[in-house]
Amino acid sequence: MLKQLISAVDECFKAFLALLIATMVLCVCWQIVSRYFFNDPSQWTEELARFLLVWIGMLGASYAYHKKMHLGLDLLQQKLSLRQQVWHARFVHLIVILFSAVVLVGGGSQLISMTRELEQYSAALGVSMHWVYMCLPVSGIMLIGYAILDWVAGSQLAESEGAQHG
Amino acid sequence: MVEIILIVLFFALLLLGVPVAFCIGLATAASLLMSVDLVPAIVTMAQRMVSGINSFALLAVPLFILSGVIMGQGGIARRLIDFAKCLVGMVPGGLAFVNVLSCTLFGSISGSAVAAASAVGGFMIPEMEKDGYDRDFSAAVTATSATTGLLIPPSNILIVYAVASGGVSIGALFIAGYLPGLLVALSLMLVCGMHARRHNLPAAGVVSFRQLVSSTARALPSLFLIVLVIGGIIGGVFTATEAGAIAVVYSLVLAWGVYGEIHFQQLYDVFLKAAETTAIVIFLVATSVAMSWLLAFHNIPTVVAEFLLQFSDNPIVVLLIINIILLIVGSFMDMTPAVLIFTPIFLPVALALDMSALHFGIMMVLNLSIGLCTPPVGSVLFVSCSVAKSSITGIIRPILPMYAAMIVALLLVTYVPAISEWLPRSFDLIQ
Repeated sequence: MLKQLISAVDECFKAFLALLIATMVLCVCWQIVSRYFFNDPSQWTEELARFLLVWIGMLGASYAYHKKMHLGLDLLQQKLSLRQQVWHARFVHLIVILFSAVVLVGGGSQLISMTRELEQYSAALGVSMHWVYMCLPVSGIMLIGYAILDWVAGSQLAESEGAQHG
Repeated sequence: MVEIILIVLFFALLLLGVPVAFCIGLATAASLLMSVDLVPAIVTMAQRMVSGINSFALLAVPLFILSGVIMGQGGIARRLIDFAKCLVGMVPGGLAFVNVLSCTLFGSISGSAVAAASAVGGFMIPEMEKDGYDRDFSAAVTATSATTGLLIPPSNILIVYAVASGGVSIGALFIAGYLPGLLVALSLMLVCGMHARRHNLPAAGVVSFRQLVSSTARALPSLFLIVLVIGGIIGGVFTATEAGAIAVVYSLVLAWGVYGEIHFQQLYDVFLKAAETTAIVIFLVATSVAMSWLLAFHNIPTVVAEFLLQFSDNPIVVLLIINIILLIVGSFMDMTPAVLIFTPIFLPVALALDMSALHFGIMMVLNLSIGLCTPPVGSVLFVSCSVAKSSITGIIRPILPMYAAMIVALLLVTYVPAISEWLPRSFDLIQ
């Protein structure tokens, strides 16, 4: 049940990330075409490509966390027993949840409401900047969600291992 | 006080095994909270993270990652190895030379030292073992030579440096990387040559003229990517970011149309893999930029510069100290955050000593690439070990002379500006 939920979320997320990066490539390509063939470099594709990069970076970071792809030192982890590794993983999840909740969700949503009050718009597309900053709380919520899901999955794994050995 | 909290918290979290990007982010947020109220602190942090990655120059990074992933999908490693065999296989210890050259070529085209180590090492290490090479030695050759692609363009880390230094031209940096990159490759080949003589290792055999022609013809389309990208940038035809998009289109045409190695269904996986790699790098950039801003906010770069210049005003001594610090940093920290955090700290010192920002960048990237193949944190070292199925302890002895060779190359690049500056100056990219 939990596994199905995780993999369903994963699939949507993967498709979304692939779509974002493909769109970004098209934006830069269109910029070259518009500059060379129409002599009129497109401004909005440049801006859109940058905003897409921001979204890919923030959203992808939460997916990469779930996939354990972020770089880190595993000196300590190698020395731990299986039981201790479960606790170690929980500690890392807590740190990530703390950062995500305070900076990404807290700071991000404050930033969004400030931008809306000040009515900041982007130069070329004319969209409100809060749409760009929206990636912060979204990424933060995804990170917290993934950390909790992985926490539960790790506990279940540890229990079934324990049951096998016991 | 703030700097102590920053450093202690960062290292504590790092040693506890928290992913680096979060160590940087949390340490920065915590130190910012020491001097600023909660709401302004977290808003500033969030805003710095976004504005740090909202950059047109940085857009080149995912594009070169994507073209690297596309190029790395098919049999490009095999083709480059066959080509390298024709060029350097005939000397004693030929396969070691082939390994160095293939890693350099692959690292340049794929833009990833880790990809070079796994792709080239995967082919070359078993082949070298068959020819009587020690496995640990082969892994050491792979690890060290895979990093040369970081200096030889297109190179993502040079783009990151261009952003961090605030205005060095990416084109000039790309051209500047060639000679230092080749210098490292040559000095590694020198170590291989001495090893081959001492252990009486065989040559890989002379190839016939027909083989030379056919393997060159098969490798040329891949190598042409470099010509296209670099030629376009030097000629001022397009910017580095645009060159990235051209590289993506060219590699798609090549892998899909010419070699037929990628099918339409695989494109999804290719794009996804590029998005994952991009996210890891860009998220690191976001948190590192925030930390770098915090350091500037607390005047740390000025303090460090004053301290270093008070300690000595002799450029040779100061640059030596900077290099030693960077070597230590590089052995603990990944390259991207190291460049983003330490460029604003050390670049003003280098500029005060009349070193150009271009020269400093090349020195820094070469320095930090040594750190990629040293423990305790050395992604390229780990990948090479796992490809070779050898251990870190086993690889250390054969890799020591290669560290020495890289450090000699680093000293030459540090103290002879012409190695970095002559080529871009010849192309009128710098004054």
